[in-house]
Amino acid sequence: MALKEVHLILGGPQGAGVETTASVLTASLAKLGYGVMSDREYYSNIVGRHSYVHFTVSATSFPRSLTYPVELMGAMDAESVFTHFHEVAEGGVLVYDTGLEASRLIQVVSMEPEVRARVEARLKAYGVEPTVAGAVRAAKEGLKALPVGLDYKGVLEEARQKLGVTSVEVHRYRNSILLGAAAAVLGLDPDALREGLAVRFRGNKKVIDANMVVVELAMDSVPQAARGTARLEPSSLDVEEMLSASGNDVVGMAKIVGGVRYQAYYPITPASDESVFIEAHQSISVDGKPVGSIVVFQTEDEIAAINSAIGAALTGVRAATATSGPGFSLMVEGLGWAGHNEVPLLITLYQRGGPSTGQPTRGEQGDLLFSLFASHGEFPRIVITSGDIEEVFYDTIKALNWAERFQVPVIHLLDKYMANVIASMRVPDPSAVKVERGKLVLKASGPAKRFDLSEAISPRPAIGSGAITWYTGDEHNEWGHISEDPINRVRMYDKRMRKLEIMDQEIPPEERAVYYGDGDADFLLVGWGFVKGVALDALEELRAQGYHGAYLHLKVFSPFPSRYVSAILSKFSPSRVIDVEHNYLGQAAMAVRMYTGYEISRFVLKYTGRPIYRMELVDAVKRILEGKSTREVLTYGE
Amino acid sequence: MASEAAYRTNVWVDWCPACGNFGILAAMQKALAELNIPPEKVVDISGIGCSGKTSHFLNVNGVHNLHGRSIPYAEGIKLANPDLTVIVNGGDGDLLGIGMAHFVALGRRNLDIKVIIHDNQVYGLTKGQASPTLRVGQKVKSMPLPNMQDWVNPITVALASGYTFVARAYALWVDDLKEILKMAIRHRGAAVIDVLQPCPTWNNIYTPDFYKQRLYRLDSDKGWDPFVRSPDPKEAAEKLSRAFERAQEWGDRIPIGIFYVNPYVESFADNVSKVNTFYESMPPAKNVIAREDGTPVIDLQAMRSMFRDYVIEVSRNNRRQAQSQ
Repeated sequence: MALKEVHLILGGPQGAGVETTASVLTASLAKLGYGVMSDREYYSNIVGRHSYVHFTVSATSFPRSLTYPVELMGAMDAESVFTHFHEVAEGGVLVYDTGLEASRLIQVVSMEPEVRARVEARLKAYGVEPTVAGAVRAAKEGLKALPVGLDYKGVLEEARQKLGVTSVEVHRYRNSILLGAAAAVLGLDPDALREGLAVRFRGNKKVIDANMVVVELAMDSVPQAARGTARLEPSSLDVEEMLSASGNDVVGMAKIVGGVRYQAYYPITPASDESVFIEAHQSISVDGKPVGSIVVFQTEDEIAAINSAIGAALTGVRAATATSGPGFSLMVEGLGWAGHNEVPLLITLYQRGGPSTGQPTRGEQGDLLFSLFASHGEFPRIVITSGDIEEVFYDTIKALNWAERFQVPVIHLLDKYMANVIASMRVPDPSAVKVERGKLVLKASGPAKRFDLSEAISPRPAIGSGAITWYTGDEHNEWGHISEDPINRVRMYDKRMRKLEIMDQEIPPEERAVYYGDGDADFLLVGWGFVKGVALDALEELRAQGYHGAYLHLKVFSPFPSRYVSAILSKFSPSRVIDVEHNYLGQAAMAVRMYTGYEISRFVLKYTGRPIYRMELVDAVKRILEGKSTREVLTYGE
Repeated sequence: MASEAAYRTNVWVDWCPACGNFGILAAMQKALAELNIPPEKVVDISGIGCSGKTSHFLNVNGVHNLHGRSIPYAEGIKLANPDLTVIVNGGDGDLLGIGMAHFVALGRRNLDIKVIIHDNQVYGLTKGQASPTLRVGQKVKSMPLPNMQDWVNPITVALASGYTFVARAYALWVDDLKEILKMAIRHRGAAVIDVLQPCPTWNNIYTPDFYKQRLYRLDSDKGWDPFVRSPDPKEAAEKLSRAFERAQEWGDRIPIGIFYVNPYVESFADNVSKVNTFYESMPPAKNVIAREDGTPVIDLQAMRSMFRDYVIEVSRNNRRQAQSQ
């Protein structure tokens, strides 16, 4: 029976090309019109530690969450088998290398001791030996999965002979064994993989052909019983083309389309890929005609990054930076200067596990309150978050517009999940957005009152416009000169702070919080950012089981849509409002309480660094609804 | 030549009487007037401390920013709009203490920014603590104990960092300073002028008398030639070495003047232009980002083409198959 949705994992050591294999598979599936979403889990390491890509593939929609167990687990090495054998579904396929069957758990030196102890206990519980063969037996007998052992070395040797290359060269195509095996299990035509390879390798025929030799040999080695076991029904997604990209890439695209022409950054995981993407597209032409250039400035630290971006913004350029928690910590003083001087600035903040270095390559939503309060003193700011890569695209442009319209710094709060997820979406249409530059003045002359008190939002002549303007981090008068006068202080303070009200009036609440649900919902999940997809999918699954819930997606935390959110919350019984977040404190719930006075008392939280999975959210919500618990802490995932 | 008055604001200059900053301010105004640079084309960037107020006294664009961060502000402004003349006025504590990382980074980038160090060996506005240019063991009158940390030499740090114009001046010799400033502004690349400056309120060691007895002009030595005059790297290396050597001199005699100038090093803008095809003709500040109807200049077609590696066309066969199901 063909499936509407398939889940799979491809695992292998970091640096061995699993990511490339995943991107070829993604492209192949996209070519066939399937929606794909994949999460990349990896250590802070370049070579050798365990990494894996976890996919949801759908024939009916663009997937928005991940779940377990998987219908297919493809392992490049012993560590992948040990780490994930227990995650294969009944009837699902575990592809592994028969050459590794004798490998013992203790020999996997790259495995952290805590993981090893857990795996050891797991194997023991299944009553099998701590070897790859043991894990395979556990999958087969304990989980009723279908192990497919391939002789990786044999496949490669055969490919080597066919290609007439050295054994070193053929090793480059080793990952295509997984690709071929996956294709066989998914029941894909080899041509689909050829197309995927063509996308990934930009039509480089030699590389494509060589990989295809390995792919086809691997496909042929998969036994009949396993072929097509995870076959998807033909796609019913009505799309002619799709964008398949990571969150980092999509933010980069949106910044370019939205007019960012200056981006400063200091390398940090998981933010720098965005800046590197922009750098690769810094010369812009339309219809063969040059239309502009972007400066991507790699600075000596994040302090320089934010402050140089502020400098660029003063010249009337849309300027931005991208960072993660440790970098943002360094940027805070600059943020205050931008707020005080009413500088439009976009800070894309990808949260990762904190505090300190925390878990650099793992996700978390621990910086919400930090984003709201970072800096000494008071000033208006916008904090906007996005729930999926489509939202990310449009929100980035919205954030740029709001920054200029309201002359405030905007923090676009994303996370590692969003940064590294590779997902497909409709190609966003720039004609659906407008560039709003507010009161920017590009032609002027002579000294200007940059902080003219006649309006809360003053005309903003760019440095270089012909005007002469002054800025200072001290309290200033209308000319931007230092003033310690108490009456001026109040007027200038009020001018700035009044923008909070103006933003609250001008930004529709429905753009700041989105309610997904209908009249019959009798419980409410409240979440933000990457929680959106899994919350909506969990609700669908819960609905099928007779639980009718809704989801309140909080998007803008400053200015917070207090009345709108209050009205929604008040429709539900307090014991049936559940906050879902990737942190310990329930920071969004704290923000809700601060802004509305409403105290959320039920929580589903996860702070392992791994995303919330659909099945664990479904279970946790049920436990809360059944009164068995008020606070569920999720821990699934390796 | 424009009038000096055109570069003055009506903000009262609130430095202590006889502060060396007055000389720097006057030299700035004279240099800009003599070079006839329109005030609206100039940006003065200043940090925190007494020197930070310079921006408010100059009738040019002023960005009085955070402690130590003037150079990043200046870099953002200059990179976004290369037409502007960008000058940093910062204290020794600001540029060589809290902002040292940026000071070094600007040198290695050789971006066309002029840095004036107000070097008075003390943190003036916080009442006279030792700055990074005060020597170990010295104790100015505001300090309870002698300095426990030694100095950094602004000239050698600048030379080592890659600045292509390195000079020292004395705040009270305004004409000398003005001439050096003019040369620095005309120089295409990162320039540093370390301006020795008496602080009459806190610094009772480095007084005008102290300097008067010791300062001498480098160019009083007829053989002193700090200018690299050919692209030959050997000449640059030799002149750099001599500058280093001369920069060690600090005792009975203290040299002021130009230590090193090398116009043959590519500026950061040159390097950006090499990889960013449209930067020179269309730097960020000259970009039009939206059409008249407000939509982005990058439309769907342009987006597809720019990001073609990420746009996947669904195979026709498959679409047909899906429709027929």
